[in-house]
Amino acid sequence: MIASFSVERDLAKRALDTARKRGASYADVRFVRRDEENALVKNGRLESADRADSFGFGVRAIADGAWGFAASQIVTADEADRVAALAVEIAKASALTKMRDAALAPVEAKTATFTTSVDVDPFAMTVDDRLGLLVAAEAKLRERKGLRTTRAAYSIWREDKLFLSTEGADIQQRLTEVGGGIAAEAVGDGELQIRTYPDGLRYQNSGGWEVLTKWDLVRHAPRVADEALALLKAKQCPQDIRTNVILAGNQLSLQCHESCGHPIELDRAMGSEAAFAGTSFLTTDKLGTFRYGSEQVNIRIDATSPGGLGTFGFDDEGVPASEGWAVKAGLFVGYLMSRETAAALGRRSNGTMRADGWQRVPIIRMTNVSVMPGSAGTLDDLIADTDDGILMDTNRSWSIDDKRFNFQFGTEVGWQIKKGKRGDMIRNPTYTGITPEFWGSCDAVCSQSEWIMWGTPNCGKGQPGQGAHTGHGAAPARFRDVNVGVIK
Amino acid sequence: MSGVLFGDRELREVAERALKAAKGDQAEALVIARTGSLTRYANAAIHQNVTSREADVTIRVVVGRRRATATTNRLDEEGLRRAAEAASELARRAPEDPTFGGLPEPRPIAAAPSAYVERTAEATPMDRARAVKILCDTAKAQKLVCAGFVSSNVQEIAVASTTGTWAYAPQTHAEVQIGAIGDDGSAFAQRVSPDFKELDVSGAAQEAVSKAVRAQRPRETAAGIYEVVLEPYCVRDMVGFLSGHFTGLAVEEGRSFVGGKIGQQVTGAITLVEDPFDAQSMPRAFDFEGQPSERVTLLDGGVARGIVYDSGTAHRVGARNTGHALPPNAFTPSSPMHVRFESGDASHEALVAGVKKGLLVTRFHYTRWVHQLRTIVTGMTRDGTFAIENGEIAYPIKNLRFTQSYHEAWSGVRAIGKDLRLLVAAEQFGLTASCQRIPALRLAAFTFTGSTRY
Repeated sequence: MIASFSVERDLAKRALDTARKRGASYADVRFVRRDEENALVKNGRLESADRADSFGFGVRAIADGAWGFAASQIVTADEADRVAALAVEIAKASALTKMRDAALAPVEAKTATFTTSVDVDPFAMTVDDRLGLLVAAEAKLRERKGLRTTRAAYSIWREDKLFLSTEGADIQQRLTEVGGGIAAEAVGDGELQIRTYPDGLRYQNSGGWEVLTKWDLVRHAPRVADEALALLKAKQCPQDIRTNVILAGNQLSLQCHESCGHPIELDRAMGSEAAFAGTSFLTTDKLGTFRYGSEQVNIRIDATSPGGLGTFGFDDEGVPASEGWAVKAGLFVGYLMSRETAAALGRRSNGTMRADGWQRVPIIRMTNVSVMPGSAGTLDDLIADTDDGILMDTNRSWSIDDKRFNFQFGTEVGWQIKKGKRGDMIRNPTYTGITPEFWGSCDAVCSQSEWIMWGTPNCGKGQPGQGAHTGHGAAPARFRDVNVGVIK
Repeated sequence: MSGVLFGDRELREVAERALKAAKGDQAEALVIARTGSLTRYANAAIHQNVTSREADVTIRVVVGRRRATATTNRLDEEGLRRAAEAASELARRAPEDPTFGGLPEPRPIAAAPSAYVERTAEATPMDRARAVKILCDTAKAQKLVCAGFVSSNVQEIAVASTTGTWAYAPQTHAEVQIGAIGDDGSAFAQRVSPDFKELDVSGAAQEAVSKAVRAQRPRETAAGIYEVVLEPYCVRDMVGFLSGHFTGLAVEEGRSFVGGKIGQQVTGAITLVEDPFDAQSMPRAFDFEGQPSERVTLLDGGVARGIVYDSGTAHRVGARNTGHALPPNAFTPSSPMHVRFESGDASHEALVAGVKKGLLVTRFHYTRWVHQLRTIVTGMTRDGTFAIENGEIAYPIKNLRFTQSYHEAWSGVRAIGKDLRLLVAAEQFGLTASCQRIPALRLAAFTFTGSTRY
């Protein structure tokens, strides 16, 4: 059931009134209550079990044409007045360096609610049931002898939000997410190797406990353990060669996150993140004209995708969730936008502003930025269609430059492909490239049956730092003539 | 003290209420309170300007050899009771941990220099905006744009436990970062000070702007192995990655390059000291379990000397707890938090003058492990990368990707800068937990494995 915010609604209205009286031309207020629980079973013992809750509100205001934001966890009328007044005072200080007045693209002020679809409410389960899954899965890993470290983890997360603005919006949302996984580490002969399932310990989706149980962690544990041990004796990835690469869906999802999701953030393209996260090679003059990838590459921005970590009813500016294209048949056609950055392009926001809790200001974040399925069939079909190459699975290392151009990724495991068959296991696989050249080399994407909504629950951006939960659907895909292997 | 502080007495009351509500054999309350104000600018104008006042209590409850934690920012009676009950319930349901030795007993905590400066707590939005204007005006004078932030921060840390632990410390720090950006080149500078009035805003502006002017029209340079001079911003990154290897857990899990090598030469002549009492850093005499933090020499002239511990890991492996626990978390129980990279005798000019052919790197970007045990990291250069020829900075170059074992790079140390710069790590656990004092460094060889187009 969605939370009651009756007291908070009155306080939000009071804060908006105070902001107006102090000189704000626009203000919004967000109350956010976040509940989460994280648990980790490691080497047969409960390493960590932590329940956390956080509640407070933030006021964002434009005064004298500039922005201010203040936040507090003290939920009283006096504090609502103080924080609203402080947000306006900060905005007026911001005006000291103003080049032009802040302008917002229009949005219809809505009164609405949204709730994540949940089959099994993770917060309504018993602790025993939640921990029981971890204990069983981790114990299964330890049945294989020779592992140094075994882990099983889960996260359950819920956020209740109330948004009111001086334009009349009144929006309540309840978002629920569940994640987790298993990991096996083996150490020997100067090597430390890890295998995880389904995607590091960072797999997460919106939804209920069913998000985790569908992966059947216990059944997969022996294979994960075996692969970690086998990696110690596997062949080292060839160094500095060019070959064909098939990326498993979970790796393609991170490739998409880093080399498409971030560069299509319009605040980056406009320089707002220049000193920290960086800018973007996808400058505004390239919109609609730049060939980002091959015709096989279709990347969608969709905050309505079931299960995505970027799935919601409204963003933190009160803009409805939307869907559209970032890359269509290889052509760059769409940004992630806020009301302010959209206005600068003469467009409307597509609803991508999100804040990491009540105490942070909303910034542009990926919603669900997904590589859409192609027609290459299953992963086995794609391997069968590949004469020579390497299959790389599950991210282990990721790095990309501040314009999102030059990247280098490593995965937990690789397998040689020879004459259409999966061959020897390869350890420490890495590949590197230049974003548009790499996506330009994509010649096959597997079909819908292989497409999974993956997620990144730890995307960092902004100062002060903010974490975001972003969704990325992907199926395995093949890239031709990729630079592989950087370490001996 | 400033109105942004809760203070010793109030946080002690909060902690004691939390402990009273806990139902277990032992309990611990960690209170972290923080007022963070950050004025962010880009395109030479303030675009995000924020302040937030936050306080969280983490209650750790022990039932036999079971334990769990709950964290809340509701400091009222009801909020603390609910969190304490949640932790108690989780602890009762948790599987036993036969290696757990209970909460640490209180030990005397030595006095450390104060890290709190009242006037940092009192800095106003207009104070920060005026600092930003200095940065923007300096950049504009050279026809550059700029981006970065000015912040003022107050944090309080308090730890209480049913074993009798009580520790409290307030801290402040102010920070300025500037990226000065031209048409095809940029540069970066950063300053940190506990005292907002002592924050060298003009010095940061001059450093970034003068370097950015020289960074325009970069040339392409082939990837390869180069001798390098690394500015402190790069060296801080290396210290951040490598200091994580000097922890009890990293050694226990076989993830540390110094595992089994204490007393052995593992790098060139470099000395790293974890010094919680360094008056020129952000000293704090206790850790997040309220245990006294010890000064620990991690590297002594390149010889691995010391490892830091939290109580749980120390008990499990039979080591002495050095008092370096982080706030309760699943993956990183301890860390060095006040690392000083001991200075050498080289001026910045001398570091460059010693290089016949090499590169000067201002800053690393997006660094990640490629092979943790071998300390191989990949990342990019950014914000000012230059060719050095015959002891002089010759011309700017386009950014390069490196893939390099950090500790092996230290094996080739040729000179260490004489000036240490105070830098802080990114926020963790809702606060600034770590700082470092770092010099510039000249290394014989650094492996660049790719290039970019700018």
